[in-house]
Parts: sequence; C-alpha cells; structure tokens
Amino acid sequence: MDKRVLYSGAGAVALLCVATAAMTAGYGTNLVCWIAIAVLTAASLRFVMLIGELNFATAAFVGLGAYGAGVATTVMDWPFLLCLLFGGMVAVVVGLVFGYVTLRTKGPYFLLIGFAFTEVVRLIYTKVHWLGGNSGMVGIFPPRYLDAWLPTFVVAVVGVLLLALYAIEKSHFGKTCIAIRDNDAVVQSVGINVHMTKVACLCVAAFAAGIAGGLSAYVNNVISPGDFGFLLSTFALAYLKVGGEDNPLGPVAGAVLLVLLASVAMGMGAGEHVFYGMAIVLSVLLMPKGITGLIQRGWEMRRKRSAA
Amino acid sequence: MTGRTDPILRTDKIGRRYGGLVAVADLDMEIRPGEILGLIGPNGAGKSTTFNLISGFVKPSQGRLFMDGVDVTGEAPHRMCRRGMVRTFQHGSLMPSMTVRENILIGAIGALRGKVRSQRAARAEHAAHALGLTHCLDEISGNLPHGLQRLVSIAIAYAAQPRILCLDEPLTGLNQTELANVLDVLRHIRDESGCAILLVEHNMKAVMQICERIIVLHHGQMLASGAPLDIRTNEQVIAAYLGKRHAQ
Repeated sequence: MDKRVLYSGAGAVALLCVATAAMTAGYGTNLVCWIAIAVLTAASLRFVMLIGELNFATAAFVGLGAYGAGVATTVMDWPFLLCLLFGGMVAVVVGLVFGYVTLRTKGPYFLLIGFAFTEVVRLIYTKVHWLGGNSGMVGIFPPRYLDAWLPTFVVAVVGVLLLALYAIEKSHFGKTCIAIRDNDAVVQSVGINVHMTKVACLCVAAFAAGIAGGLSAYVNNVISPGDFGFLLSTFALAYLKVGGEDNPLGPVAGAVLLVLLASVAMGMGAGEHVFYGMAIVLSVLLMPKGITGLIQRGWEMRRKRSAA
Repeated sequence: MTGRTDPILRTDKIGRRYGGLVAVADLDMEIRPGEILGLIGPNGAGKSTTFNLISGFVKPSQGRLFMDGVDVTGEAPHRMCRRGMVRTFQHGSLMPSMTVRENILIGAIGALRGKVRSQRAARAEHAAHALGLTHCLDEISGNLPHGLQRLVSIAIAYAAQPRILCLDEPLTGLNQTELANVLDVLRHIRDESGCAILLVEHNMKAVMQICERIIVLHHGQMLASGAPLDIRTNEQVIAAYLGKRHAQ
C-alpha cells in the first residue's frame, strides 16, 4: 500500500472537515452531508465490485443501518456513537447471512437476488408497526453538542471510512478480492476459501453502507421505507459509472457531480428527471472510464508529451 | 526416483459419471514424493476429469481419494490445496488484469495464511526467481507473451508450496526454446522443493523426456502404467494413442 496516498487522503479529509466547519448552517451544509452519504454508499457498492459482483442489496444495507441507528436512538435511547455503530453492525450481521447464502451465485443472478432482497426488506419495514410502518420513523436526532458540528462529523466519518476501504483494497485481502474477480478458480486452487473471502468483502461493504444509512437517519431526522428502495442502488451505480469505477476516487467524483446536478435540477419541476437522466447518459457516453478515467488519461497524455 | 517412500496421494477405484457418460471409472493411481508422473491419453480419455477429481474441483461418483493415508474424498479444492495438492489450468491459469508480482503473491497468500506480509512477499519473490520471472514482475500478466504466461501460471502454483504440483498441458503453444526452458524449470522445482509433479501433456517427446513414470488413460480407464520405455513399447498404448512414430 502506498502510504503517501493514505497520508495525502487523511490531509484532504482534514481540510474538508475544516472547510465544512467554516460553513454557515443551512442548505449548503445539508448538501455537503447528502454528498458525503452518497459517496459512502457508492464506495460500498464499488467495494463489492472488487470481487466482480454488482451488489444491488447496497440499498438494503443502507436501510438496515438507518433503521438500526433509528431504533437504537428512539427506542433504546443508546448513546449516539453506539447507535451509529449499531446500525453498521446490523448491516454486517444481515450481510453475513445474506452473503453466505447468496454469494454462491454470480453475475446477473446475484444482482437479481440483491434487487429482490432490497425490495423485500423495504416491504418488511412497511409492515412492522414499531418501525413506523409506511410512515417511517421520526425524531432521530443527533445529540445537542453535535447540532452545529453534524456536517463536519459526517464528512469526517465518511472520510475515515473511505481511507479504511482504500487501505483494505490495497491489502493482501483486497488483492485476493481482485484476483477472485479475475479468476476465482485459480484463487481456489492455491488454498484460498473463495466463498468466505467474498462474504468477508460483502460484510466490509455492508458496514460502510450501514454507517451511511445511520448518518442519513441523523442528517434527515426522519426515515421511511421509500428511501431505501432499489433506486438508491441505481443512483449509487450512476455515481460510480460517472465518477469511474476503476479508481477509489470515482465514487467521490461521481457523487459530488450528480448530487450537485440533482440539487440544480430540483428547481426544474417536471423536467428534473429528464435533465438528470440526460446528464448520466452523456457522462457515460463521453467518459466511458468516468471523470477519474478522463483525468488520468489527460495526465498520461501530458506526461507523454513532455517526455517526447 | 520412484518407490522410495509411501505415496502422498492414492485413489481407490475413483470414478465420475455425467449422466450416462462414464468420464473416469475404477481408477487406481498413486503419486509418490518427488516423482514426475505423466498422465497421457487421447482426447476424451478422462485426463482433465482425473485432474479435477484429485484436486477437488469435481466430486467423484464412486471410489475414494486418500492423501497421506487420510480419506479426503469430496474435500473442497482450497482444502485439497492446503494438504499440498496444487494445480494449474489448461486455459486461463492467471489473473490477467494483475501484475506478475501480484499474480504470484496470490499463490503465496494461499500458502501462508496468517503469516506476515513480508513472508508472503518473500515466498512470491522466491517462486518468481525459481521460474525466471524477476525481469517482468511489474508487467500486467495479461499483456505477456504466451510462453511467459505459462511460466506465471506455474509460478502461482509453486508459490502455494505444493507437495503435488498438477500441471494441465503446460507446454501447449510453446516454441522449442520455451519448451526446453519449461522442462528445465520443472526439474529445478522438483529438485529444489522435492514436490511431485503430475503432468498432463500431449507433447509426447517432452513427456518421454521428463517423466519417470507414465499413466495412460483410455475411455476413462487406466490402459497402462510404467516407465517411459515400457509405455513406448506397449502394444496397446501404441494402438490406442501413440501410433508407430512415437514408439520408435
């Protein structure tokens, strides 16, 4: 692992935290929180792509994290950090069972199972009264001492988790995941338990998604089943495709651009979805490797030109 | 080299059916430490199925498989590898998007679970050195010429510290220089580590040159077993597979 990248990343996160802390509370700080949560959701989706799978259950894990944190806050009245962690752990435990059962399938089969799982979990929320049913849960507030600092806290947590995901990706475990994506038979033939490695990868991603869910619950103070349908996974995929899935910074670039575009498009009334959809189609057509791929290509061309 | 110790692997009437098709039937074979054993036969004879059976990729529909005297029938491939049974594949035996170094490291990660990164890296380095791949460690393996890709696939398996190294047609598509190099490398690996090598190969000249014992399969059953000279002069083997040219 390149420690310089990790230190630079930590520096960038610290700078972003300072910048967020300097912002006046309002729509701008809310937008920062939504962007940060979108980044973490997309990063979770990308992490499972290391093993070559498209995890449409990401939305379900975000929801489990949100409902976990919500229940821990409103019903059990636990301390804030414990509630957030509890949301992440609920997602991990469900991810463990879900992954153990379903990760023997691959490709479109796993994608469809993830899609169905997300919808089933969403329907369960609507049927359980103590989870608020169709109306969802209300009153999920962060502690008072975080009132002014919540956006900074969200950026810090997302930043730390992104760096952790990067470190895991560059570890031997991460290399094993990528090797599974490339050729799982060879990985199995050298003594690595491919199935359990995939399950572990999904659990790491589920934790990140769960924390993203917990943060969204505290930022919005209210959650409802409709927030965690398959569209959430679709948006995360769009962030990734636009940002560039090959680069760990892809989720950041994609989420920043698309969430900002979405906030601009909100003022367009009925044209909002058309504008947003067109932006995604154009991005994917014009930048097949995403924003990060485009930057990387430009950088390489410049280097070649200067070398010539 | 043969007959000096107990076999590492032994099959007892192992077989595999696919519906009405018998791929392998009643196969009794053993692999002893340090030997280079050839597995030959015409296409469809059951060589690949035998490979898959003994490496755990296919579960037998009859018979038992023993390693070090322990019944390991039906064990998963990664567990078979942990017992020392490591294999390569005829096609796609590497991770094409990763560098040569990362490819070989995967083998070392498999072998040295729970060990520190530096030990795994050292093991990978050692395997790369043994296979003569130190000059291309940072190349993307999918971009390498065919001959080097074959060496990388053997290096991945060797990094996994095999006691039995099963190679599925490692010489296919190699030119004479590359072929001679791979044969030298295989002898070096055997001499250095003492592992047994099981070779499935259609290049009869190479098989006769390197193997100390050969098993011939035909229609899923063992047709003959013995030293290369015995196999080359066996009338049944000549009729079923070798033809007159290789017999001379």
